[in-house]
Amino acid sequence: MTSRITQSTVTTSALRGLQANLGRVQTLQEQLSSGRRIARASDDPAGTAASMILRTAQAADEQYQRNSDHAKGRLTVTDSALTGLSDRVRAVRELMVASNNGALNPDGRAALAAQVDAIRSEVIDLYNTTYLERPVFGGSVAGTQAVDPSSGTYVGNDVPIEARISADAVIRIDVKGTDAAADVLPAALSAVSASITAGGATAPDFTAIDSAFSTVQRALGDVGARAQRVETTNSLVESHRLDLVSRISENEDVDLPETIMNLQAQQVGYQAALGAAAKVLQTSLLEFLR
Amino acid sequence: MSTFGTLNTAVSGLLAMQRAMDTAGQNVVNATTPGYSRQRVELSSVGAPTSATFHTGAKVPVGGVQVDAVSRIRDAFLEATRAAAGGRQEALAARHDTLAGAQLLLSEPGTTGLQAGLDGFYAAWHELSLNPSDSAAGSVVIQKGQAVAEQLHAVGDGIAAGWASAFDRLSQTVDQANQAASDLASLNQKLLEGSSTGRSVNELLDRRDTLVRTLADLVGGQAVPGPDNQISVSVNGITIVHGSTAQTLTLTGAVEYGDAVTDPPAISWGGTDVPVDSGAAAGYLAALRTDLPNLGASVDGVAVALRDAVNAVHATGFTRSGAAGAAFFSGTGARDLAVVPASPADLAMTSAPGTINGAVALKIGDLALDVASSAALGGGIGASARWRDLTTALGTQVQSLGAAVTVQESVVNAADDAVNADSGVNLDEEMTSMMLFQRAYQASARVITTVDEMLDTLVNRTGTVGR
Repeated sequence: MTSRITQSTVTTSALRGLQANLGRVQTLQEQLSSGRRIARASDDPAGTAASMILRTAQAADEQYQRNSDHAKGRLTVTDSALTGLSDRVRAVRELMVASNNGALNPDGRAALAAQVDAIRSEVIDLYNTTYLERPVFGGSVAGTQAVDPSSGTYVGNDVPIEARISADAVIRIDVKGTDAAADVLPAALSAVSASITAGGATAPDFTAIDSAFSTVQRALGDVGARAQRVETTNSLVESHRLDLVSRISENEDVDLPETIMNLQAQQVGYQAALGAAAKVLQTSLLEFLR
Repeated sequence: MSTFGTLNTAVSGLLAMQRAMDTAGQNVVNATTPGYSRQRVELSSVGAPTSATFHTGAKVPVGGVQVDAVSRIRDAFLEATRAAAGGRQEALAARHDTLAGAQLLLSEPGTTGLQAGLDGFYAAWHELSLNPSDSAAGSVVIQKGQAVAEQLHAVGDGIAAGWASAFDRLSQTVDQANQAASDLASLNQKLLEGSSTGRSVNELLDRRDTLVRTLADLVGGQAVPGPDNQISVSVNGITIVHGSTAQTLTLTGAVEYGDAVTDPPAISWGGTDVPVDSGAAAGYLAALRTDLPNLGASVDGVAVALRDAVNAVHATGFTRSGAAGAAFFSGTGARDLAVVPASPADLAMTSAPGTINGAVALKIGDLALDVASSAALGGGIGASARWRDLTTALGTQVQSLGAAVTVQESVVNAADDAVNADSGVNLDEEMTSMMLFQRAYQASARVITTVDEMLDTLVNRTGTVGR
């Protein structure tokens, strides 16, 4: 403390105190009105770094969830195509059993063969199922078809199509055409149709059809398992994302009750300072001289 | 002893009290004048007889009061402390304000900064990986890439603009310092004349001290007092004002942001660099020479890391037409980063020619992970991590400068209080003095009245006693 006090010392120190007080009120006011504790990096550099990491992770999680949705959509479409295939193969097998009957006349056999041919073109359509213009059984084939509709030849490849569904999981979202019997089934059906037309001399080849059926069943199981995995991972990502949201909020947002209490206390302090300044600054010897 | 001697004594009292009242009045009216130092009348009694007169040998009747001087109350040491503290305060504040302005360019943490832009860019690549034949997804990738490039342009250009405005302020500061130095030199001249003629130079001295303080605030000048109220000012050992001559400081080096690294700006006098380490000029110089160029280099580092990582992965892919992936980003830094592919057909998202898949797009999207980014750069630091580092580093620097400004502010306040306590006007004190002087004046006047009555008795009533 200085020994000699002058009017301007009192005035400036009172003003300084009021300024500092008002500054704190303003900071709290700013925090309350924006709802944010960190408006600039300098408010809390460490908190800012944490916030930036959390926000990036949150954005990534949101994208993983979109990727998962896409994967689920694609796997669902694949699953229903495989189910369709499985139904068609079963129907063909029944037709084959029906045709294996010596009592059938050529017209009856022709009718059965026509049914098998119809099923074959349905099967080719199912193999050419697309999701967002990409054939689900074609790998990375440039066109939009996995099986050539006219020849029934498999034109796809085995390049895997993948999606990232979490920070450490990339999942295959397609089924290799060969794993769904796309390379053998159309030819086998042609053979079945031909053998039915030809009549009893050559019995239909059940082996090829049965093996195609079990291949499709395996693919169905595989797709189901992967859809399950996407589901599980997605729910983990979701809970991680929600956790991030609350951590970002904890890190960046103001603690409302505490800030409001602080603001109240500051305002009381400010008013007291104003009152004291008003009293001190008014007095001078002049008041008492006559 | 002469009868009239007492009258003279009383008159000297009247004159002295008038002068004292004058001074008190001057103090009161200047109670709020910045830089004013209170003044005090130095009185002394006219002393005892010293010698006899030549003719009579009788003792000379001496009496009364005389005004020796009107002295100015100011402690040079306190004043020097205040000036030095002010200079340091200005240096910190100038540097803090410049960097705080640069910090606003980053707009982190939040949803509008570069971090969010990068996140969106990588997400767009993931989206393309899911939907590689969709040209809309490809357009989004190109647009998000352009958005990131524009954000980097904005930050880079903002730093350049911040540099230019700090440079303008520095040159204004130097101009003001030159003006203050030449004003001080001419004041020195006036003070020399004033002191030799014995006139009161108190108000000139106040102006001189204000100018010294201004020089300390601008370029960190230190005052060296000399005889005859002369003051010299030197900046870190280099004299810029001596007597009635002032040196002109000039700015040398880069005048544009682009040259700041190769030829940093400096303050020089006659070809010698003046090592300014206090005052606003020091703060601006620190920002111009190191802080802003370093920040700009870090932002360029972010742009280059982004360019290299994305281009490295993009080069492993093939476009839909089977062409090998060309560069995705071009440019040499934050201010000229540009997206090369003009249409989605130029994006190399597929892993082999003649096929369509999103394997490469997936890998570029994965660059959002620091590990993947670092691997793509062959072990370097990725763009997001660099951006985070520079944001945190700048935030820390602004925070600690802000704290230093606050501390220095209280040092300046304490120094101000000390100067004020010594030199400031206390109205109560002046009121009391005025009452004292008024009473003394009244008493001196009463002495005259009394002597007058005595003389009246002598002149008019002598010999009439008992009539």
